[in-house]
Amino acid sequence: MNFRICALVAAGLWVVAGVAWAHHNMSALFDFNNRVSLSGTLSKIDWRNPHIYLTVDVKGDKDGLETWQVEGPAPSFFRIRDISKMDFENASGKMVKFEASRARDGSRTGLLRVMTLPDGKLVSACPQNC
Amino acid sequence: MKKSAWIATAMAAVSAALVLAPIPSRGQSAEDAKKARGEAAKAKRIAENFKLNARTLTIFDRQGKVVTTVGERGMFNVPFFSPDGRRLAVVKNDQEKETNDLWVYDVATGQGIQITSSQRRERAQAPVWSPDGSQLAFVAVRSGNFGLYRKHANGQGPEELIYQLPGTGNPTDWSADGRYLTYTSSDLSGGTIFAVPLTGTGERKPIEIFHSQFQLQGGGISPDGRWVAYTSNETQRNEVYVRGFDPTAPGSGQSWRISREGGSFPYWRGDGKELYYLAPDQTAMAVEVRAGAAPQFGVPKVAFRPPGIFPGPASVSRDGERMVVSLGPNPLRQITVFDRQGKTVKTVGQPGLFIDPSVSPDGKRVVLTRTDPHTGNRDIWTFDLATGKGTPVTDDLPADGNPIWSSDGKWIAYTSFRDNGRNNGIYRKAWDGSGQEELLFRTTPGAGMDLSDWSPDGKFLTFATGALSLVQLHPNEKALDRKAIEWMREEYDAFGGRFSPDMRLMAYEANPDINEIFDIFVRPFDAAKPEAPLGPAVQVSPADGFGVAGVIYWSQDGKELCYLTADWEVACAEITTAPGLKVGIPKVLFKLPARPQGDPDHWLSSRDGQRFVFAMPVTAGGSK
Repeated sequence: MNFRICALVAAGLWVVAGVAWAHHNMSALFDFNNRVSLSGTLSKIDWRNPHIYLTVDVKGDKDGLETWQVEGPAPSFFRIRDISKMDFENASGKMVKFEASRARDGSRTGLLRVMTLPDGKLVSACPQNC
Repeated sequence: MKKSAWIATAMAAVSAALVLAPIPSRGQSAEDAKKARGEAAKAKRIAENFKLNARTLTIFDRQGKVVTTVGERGMFNVPFFSPDGRRLAVVKNDQEKETNDLWVYDVATGQGIQITSSQRRERAQAPVWSPDGSQLAFVAVRSGNFGLYRKHANGQGPEELIYQLPGTGNPTDWSADGRYLTYTSSDLSGGTIFAVPLTGTGERKPIEIFHSQFQLQGGGISPDGRWVAYTSNETQRNEVYVRGFDPTAPGSGQSWRISREGGSFPYWRGDGKELYYLAPDQTAMAVEVRAGAAPQFGVPKVAFRPPGIFPGPASVSRDGERMVVSLGPNPLRQITVFDRQGKTVKTVGQPGLFIDPSVSPDGKRVVLTRTDPHTGNRDIWTFDLATGKGTPVTDDLPADGNPIWSSDGKWIAYTSFRDNGRNNGIYRKAWDGSGQEELLFRTTPGAGMDLSDWSPDGKFLTFATGALSLVQLHPNEKALDRKAIEWMREEYDAFGGRFSPDMRLMAYEANPDINEIFDIFVRPFDAAKPEAPLGPAVQVSPADGFGVAGVIYWSQDGKELCYLTADWEVACAEITTAPGLKVGIPKVLFKLPARPQGDPDHWLSSRDGQRFVFAMPVTAGGSK
């Protein structure tokens, strides 16, 4: 592991939040007090650093589809938890359930907390995203 | 613990790591071998981390004399005395399980009891004693949620969930009458002190005591339950304040600033007549408190000054007679120049709190990040390698870091969080600190950024956010209009980008195969097409090793690329580009006598490759 990351891990003993690469500060964009639980079809997967993005088509109020973009931790977060990109690719086009913290701007964007894949596998993004 | 004992512990830890580290054997699949190599690298890192960072719970009296040490060395956070001063509650990190758990230690016997038992990658944190010392409140991650819990301080019985937190938070105090538990929660939108009622039935609902647009920490309730002491960063650094604590009329009343030159972690004495806090240098300060309709506060005075610099996380007993510190290793570092054979050429100036040294293009100076041992301010300094004379480049409250030289040696670029930690930017200033600083680039609010290089033509900066990114410095573009280019955004981590002298290659660190192991790679770069690499990656460090600790430098002619191995060796590989990009077998030049401090992704060598500069521990070889 890189020296800098080692140092961060050591320093991480003394801080509340976990250490992670990020494009942005999570609490700046997402409201942890405003959660949403939805089901929909997983339609797109962007499995790259520093955050993965999952696109889920959710059935809206008027029979239309609402497209939600759900942001998750970095791929390495899942890699060390034995959750692979393949798990999500196998779920592509199928129904998934997820809980996310909503974006502060009110858009259909959320920070992933938990997702249940079609095979019942529970994928938690905590403690990083909760 | 005696020195010989902790050396033995460290050696045992290293030995255990080597014994436990699985070695790939014949017949293993490639995937098994990879996994084994990753586990071995992790075990090695854990052993080294313990050796370098484990702390000893040490109790001092007001004269700064050690009263006793408690228990064995461990990866401890802030220890807290029980109300009667006979026990310590502390969070201990388990690197193997990647957990943090609460422990209670008996001061007299050193015996420890594990209070919480987190599952892998869960954690408990921020213990708070109940007024009678029978229970502990804490925050824990359980089944993917942060919750406020309490449990008996003897470890018996289950954890009781007091309140499921919507986000994160930290308990800060338990009121003397037992009715309220306070906790704080801070993010970029500000900080809030909450009080959770512990009496009554039904669902508990936190009461917002005080909200600020600034970050808040702590929240110690005075013994008479009328005031709350907390830390806020509203002056750009942490200071201690006191304001009214009235859950029936939250948000009311004035506040008083208690600390004068920085402070944090306020605690009330048991009788409420003194308030303690930690100064930036971790000296415990005492402030006299005179009760009244509005309290009056005296001038802060030194209560405890434990020996050493930044000795470790600490707190004060309720009677104000003892201070307990998670005493860590000496953080002082000596700027040390090595030659190509690893011989110490010279030491530069006096030891200090230095990280990230980077040698100027002419080899005459070093720039580094220096933390002031008294104020805790982190600034950028340059030092003359011949005379040892230091010159501040920055002298401000925000923490500055990641200094790098411009190729003409006139400027230093560095990162700094401004606006009370909200905005992280890349700035530049003249190497001697003269003139005004200039903002070159600002990233999205709150995001971190590891600056690693400034291109030889001065037109690009490279930094990492998990993606290896660039920013192009168009001369007519305003800093706030500049956009980051994600040169490499992959499924793995990539960072530490370094331009070759002809700017046709970029060296960087990445972990494409094994999460735990970072190696050095080189890819073609084209300044005319900076959106992405123009060719595949070529690995520089050996494919079957434990990885690297950082990139050191490209030689001036671009024919040699050196890096620091995970075993703190300086190794160099020959690079040829014609007819195609080829990397020679790396050769180890020398091994450092100890682990250096700072970020080896910065220039650590003179451009001729003859001198290497590191910030070395003062107790290790090479500094004396």
